[in-house]
Amino acid sequence: MTSLIPILTLLIFLPLCGALLVFALRRSDAAVRGVALAFTLAELALCLWPLALTGEKAAGAPAGFFLYQDAAWIERFGIRYTLGMDGISLVMTILTAFITLIAVLSAWQVKERAGLFFALLLALQGAVQGLFLSLDLFLFYLFWEAMLIPMLLLIGVWGSGRPVYSTIKFFLYTFVGSLLMLLAIIALYLMHGAQTTNYTFALPELVRTTIPYDIGLWLFAAFLLSFAIKFPLFPLHTWQPDAYCDAPVAGTLMLGSLLSKTAAYGLIRIAFPLFPEASRALTPLIFVVAVLGIGYFAWIAFAQRDMKRMLAYSSVSHMGFVALGIAAWSPVAVSGALLQMVNHAVTTGALFVVVGMLEERADSRDLSSYGGTWGKIPVFSFFFLVFNMASAGVPGLNNFVSELIILVGTFRVAPLAAAIAFLGTILTLVYTVRLVQEVVFGKEKTPLELKDLSLREAGVLAVLALVVVALGVHPGPVLELFKAPLEVLVRP
Amino acid sequence: MTLVDLYSIMPIVITACAALFVLLCGPVLLSASLTAIGVTASAAAGVWAALSTPTSTQAVAGLAFTPLARFLIPLFCSAAAITLLLSHSYNERRGIKGEEFPATVLFALFATCVLPCATNMLILFLALESVSFAFYILVSMDLNRAESGEAGLKYLLLGAVAAAFTAFGFALLFTGSGTLQLSGALARPDNRAIISAGWGVILVGMAFKLSLVPGHLWTPDVYQGAPAPVSAFLSTSSKVAAAALLLMLLALFPPMQELRVPLAALSVLSMVLGNLAALKQQNIKRMLAYSSVAHMGYLTLALLSGSRDGYAAVLLYGAVYTAMNLAAFGAISSLSVEQERELITDYAGLGFAAPLRGGVLALAMISLAGIPPAAGFIGKFFIFYAAIKGGAISLAIIGILSAAASAYFYLRVVAQLYMHRGQVPAPKPVSLAEGIALCCASLSILVIGVYPGPLLGAIEAALH
Repeated sequence: MTSLIPILTLLIFLPLCGALLVFALRRSDAAVRGVALAFTLAELALCLWPLALTGEKAAGAPAGFFLYQDAAWIERFGIRYTLGMDGISLVMTILTAFITLIAVLSAWQVKERAGLFFALLLALQGAVQGLFLSLDLFLFYLFWEAMLIPMLLLIGVWGSGRPVYSTIKFFLYTFVGSLLMLLAIIALYLMHGAQTTNYTFALPELVRTTIPYDIGLWLFAAFLLSFAIKFPLFPLHTWQPDAYCDAPVAGTLMLGSLLSKTAAYGLIRIAFPLFPEASRALTPLIFVVAVLGIGYFAWIAFAQRDMKRMLAYSSVSHMGFVALGIAAWSPVAVSGALLQMVNHAVTTGALFVVVGMLEERADSRDLSSYGGTWGKIPVFSFFFLVFNMASAGVPGLNNFVSELIILVGTFRVAPLAAAIAFLGTILTLVYTVRLVQEVVFGKEKTPLELKDLSLREAGVLAVLALVVVALGVHPGPVLELFKAPLEVLVRP
Repeated sequence: MTLVDLYSIMPIVITACAALFVLLCGPVLLSASLTAIGVTASAAAGVWAALSTPTSTQAVAGLAFTPLARFLIPLFCSAAAITLLLSHSYNERRGIKGEEFPATVLFALFATCVLPCATNMLILFLALESVSFAFYILVSMDLNRAESGEAGLKYLLLGAVAAAFTAFGFALLFTGSGTLQLSGALARPDNRAIISAGWGVILVGMAFKLSLVPGHLWTPDVYQGAPAPVSAFLSTSSKVAAAALLLMLLALFPPMQELRVPLAALSVLSMVLGNLAALKQQNIKRMLAYSSVAHMGYLTLALLSGSRDGYAAVLLYGAVYTAMNLAAFGAISSLSVEQERELITDYAGLGFAAPLRGGVLALAMISLAGIPPAAGFIGKFFIFYAAIKGGAISLAIIGILSAAASAYFYLRVVAQLYMHRGQVPAPKPVSLAEGIALCCASLSILVIGVYPGPLLGAIEAALH
């Protein structure tokens, strides 16, 4: 039965159809929200379905893939519409569906041009899903670029502060990197074609290309640059605080929780397997920027008074762990990095949502405006505390597990990098504790009329908190899903 | 001449007859019916060309319905039809009256249709100059605006110089090869120097026609001064016609070695200077003019690879560029009120005030910037593919970096459309003709962007 229903295509096109429908219904806000919610829920359900199929093997698929779809597309260049799902893609698609659902719920209050807003959110979701499922490099690139337009508009139209400046800065940074990656993709395609006379963009084929060392270095550098900008890795991060801060909450959520993951996914799925030699040669560099990122961004986060900006830096700091795990490139470290991608998306996403809720109430993101919320809005403060504890790496909550796995995995390969990264976690603790201390406890600085969470808000946060605890206590099933694909991808 | 011969050049006959008919019967017919006649004739000619099979035999002296013509004539016809659809309401708003406008558009179409059919250098030259001649008139058509006349004069003066260069180049090619026939004109080794000299002089003329740096100086003034529908037609058909002429000559006199350096220089200068100059423009038509310079630089990049891939990329880019620029100038034309909206800031908030036209303009900008799923991405992909395959890697890197910078000025327009609010005059409701034209242009942008297979097949056939 599963071979009859093209689940993978549906995963991409369901949100796109939803986007069109939402846009068509834009005259009525209620209809827009309802339809958007229905489509995101349907998408999540559709993502969960393949969980039952993980044991199977799809016909014609490369090793490790249990869903596979392949059709000719642009035959002149050997470009194919090839989609595949293995454990890694499965987890990423579920994550995408989940985060988009949260984004839709947290954008419930958007009144201005709500139709376009939700249509863009859904279109963005479709592009991200496509990216996580593509097995054709051209198709991957297409989705990689197609994500930019909805994001550009989400920040620019509904942002605050200096939205146009931030969104164009974000766009130009990522666009420069992507275009260089496009050249590298074409060069790789031509090299593979010349060697085998089979001109194709199929990833499993391209992996077998023999690439001279020096050319490989240049090509890998182009891929790395493109992914490092979106990641973002130090020192290519300067677009990130502006974009995160000026975006609307749902936009920040998509940007911080999903788009940064597409870059990490690209490194794991594409850049490292394609260029094993070149990636090994540049590993020390990635270790340095990852460790620098963890410490430096944590330190800068400590200096921020604007909560959203603090979270933006905290977000990159945590992404440093993902980079660390990928650079170590052992099965343990990479599975830790993948888990950290999930945890980061959930925890940081949740933090952006709670800060967004606070801002909605008091119209300020400045730390100095708040204090003593525990006594006034206890439900909110409880969730605020939980997510911050998760972010700080408290045992029992999700980030602790993945960061520990990454540190253990990295320690075997690069003990020094692991040791310094561990020190970085202490800095994380410092700024998180201060944030919690000033906002939740502390004394009230300015008298504010604060309302506690509505049922919708409490529901959103409760779901997020449940996931945070579940992943912290029982991450086994997720790690199990990564095992089979990583055996193929990571050959130490 | 047999009936079969007549059938094969029927598109040319249709356009010529329609032009004459419009000119002769114009005074007694309504202007709407003139536009309708023009659109019908262009569509008929295009469909006829697309459905007939190309031959290499000459239908009449100097003309044959070649495979290249089978690809290009429908392209030119759709550009002319869209221009006519756009110009009707534009001309009404602007007080441009009379049958000479649709007639001149049809004459220009006639000349562009002759060009790819030419089998003789003389016909080729005459066709090229007839295209320019029609455009000199079209550019200066708006009598109420002084800029229009100024632009026409500028174009005419520089165009005359370029025509002289091109004619001299053809003369040198004739001296070198001994024949005006394109099919028999193979370079004799002892005349290589003369042929190369001829190529050099033709390149000067073509640099002007394609607005390649340093022959681009007329472009911003003419695009700015001309009525917007004319700019749409000028920036697409005349450019593609000039590129087609280069392709036809390159296929016959292929001394690529000597041409590589000058073509590379023209390409790099146009890509870099065109994009840099466009960054600073406040006027949207000047910005599009400099962007046109840069895009012709990309086209030259594909041309200089000298391979079949490169030529296919040129044709694809020609088609894609036609769709994008028709959409961009079409939206500008349709959004104009009593005055045209000159500045980019005049478009503030129009994405919401005029959703269709704002959307079309934004799509055109996204496509010009080369972002998928718009067609511009496939065009750029093919160009850079051909360049890398041809070994021009450093040029490709320069080109792609300049393309990255170009995203800035295209996005500025998108930002104005959707992210700014301003006191701008409210747009008039979109007329049916404009709506059809804009939908056709933007649909082709999307379709080529997502499913370019059939178009690529047609291009393969055209290069046969």
